[in-house]
Amino acid sequence: MNDPYRVLGVSPNASDEEVKRAYRELARKYHPDNYQDNPLADLAEEKMKEINEAYDAITQQRAGGQGYGGQSYGQAQSYGAQGYGGQSYGGQSQDPFFQKVRQCIQAGNLDAAERLLTQEAPAQNAEWHFLLGAVCYRRGWLDEARQHYQTAVQMDPGNLEYRQAYAMMSQGGYAYRPAGYNAANGCDDCCRTYLCVSCLTPWGGPCC
Amino acid sequence: MFGYVRPHRAQLAPEAWARYQGVYCGLCHCLKARYGQAARFVLQYDFAFLCMLLEPPGEPRPIRPRRCAVHPLDPRPCLEPSPAMELCADESVILARYKLRDGVADEGPAGRLGCRCAALLLGRAYRWARAARPEFDRRAAACLEELDRLEQAGSPQLDRCADAFARLLTAAAEPTGDEAVDRPRQHLLYHLGRWIYLIDAVDDLDEDRRRGRYNPVAARFGERVERDYLDATMGHSLALCQSAFQLLPQNAWADLLENILYAGLPSVQQLVLEGRWNPKKREKRA
Repeated sequence: MNDPYRVLGVSPNASDEEVKRAYRELARKYHPDNYQDNPLADLAEEKMKEINEAYDAITQQRAGGQGYGGQSYGQAQSYGAQGYGGQSYGGQSQDPFFQKVRQCIQAGNLDAAERLLTQEAPAQNAEWHFLLGAVCYRRGWLDEARQHYQTAVQMDPGNLEYRQAYAMMSQGGYAYRPAGYNAANGCDDCCRTYLCVSCLTPWGGPCC
Repeated sequence: MFGYVRPHRAQLAPEAWARYQGVYCGLCHCLKARYGQAARFVLQYDFAFLCMLLEPPGEPRPIRPRRCAVHPLDPRPCLEPSPAMELCADESVILARYKLRDGVADEGPAGRLGCRCAALLLGRAYRWARAARPEFDRRAAACLEELDRLEQAGSPQLDRCADAFARLLTAAAEPTGDEAVDRPRQHLLYHLGRWIYLIDAVDDLDEDRRRGRYNPVAARFGERVERDYLDATMGHSLALCQSAFQLLPQNAWADLLENILYAGLPSVQQLVLEGRWNPKKREKRA
């Protein structure tokens, strides 16, 4: 394993507080919210694992190997488990056909997913639009993705998965912002936590 | 490309600005060394960004003051040439030549003549550049041909047009063989290309309408162009550029790249959407 201090970008003489701060900043950077449905999510997840391991190693080392690390690092583990573990296309589908399409998208096989959707789909319902939107999104075709997500929401307004995807498009996506750079569009930091919060708001939409 | 990719100077320390100038002037000297004085007019801010992005991690090359025809009395800081800078010089010549060819087709009589002369001046440089980067030349030609077909057909599919240009830009980075570098880099360049295509379309909107030319944004939205929608979709591409950038190994230029991605591009986007970009050009038109 790499030197844990180098992974976190701090000197071995750094105080516990400094180590924690560096870890938090990196965890914010590679947070799953920033790589939601992003084709690079696997790389971000790897980075997250690397910094979690580094932080764990340092806390254990400093506690004299007495297992103190586990507690403060609990937050980190929850990032890994909830965020990267459950990618949204993993969502279950009632229809075995759409389940197959979801598997293609998850495996990164966008051509196969598109072919299935455009040539073999039984019906162009809300889920069809959502999944075609997901294919477009992964390709970087953001305008068409947004239109398909919007149609999906209009056809099935009660579906949380569709609403979340559409909300992300109308916000213009989420990205980590280093200290000192303000959001140009006036959207402040509370939006960043939106995906965590949106599941809790009664309307299932953005918190602000 | 078009000069939209530039730093936000107010948010840069003077020392960082000097380093940026070093890259820009270094690229200019590199163009001259490889292609002669005449090739210097193809210099663009966008390629200074590309040059910094493609530099491998490690100690940067030295920056030394040098004179040139534009600054004969006050020497400017200049970065020594590197393989990444030479690649950028070659690619800027290739793209400039294709842009001039488009100009011959699009412009009025005076513009057409200007483009012809410039293309003539650049002819030999282009042939050299093509010989040095045959793969980039081939892919650039294919993407631009596809774009041309879409534009001729008046395509209302904004993403499809932007995609052709974005793929051209991904060809600008030669693969390193390391997936952890190549994938984020390709993704960044794809969305940067998409952003450049859209911003250029918005910037040209009024002029294209006046001259009755095809404009992808006008074709997509018709009479009522939704600026908020465009702001969100362009901002989304920037967000994807930023998240891809964070996965790349940091090199000596990370602070400048960060400034461009997080401050430079958003402010250019705002200016263009509000119609305040390039005020001189607008006055002249009015």
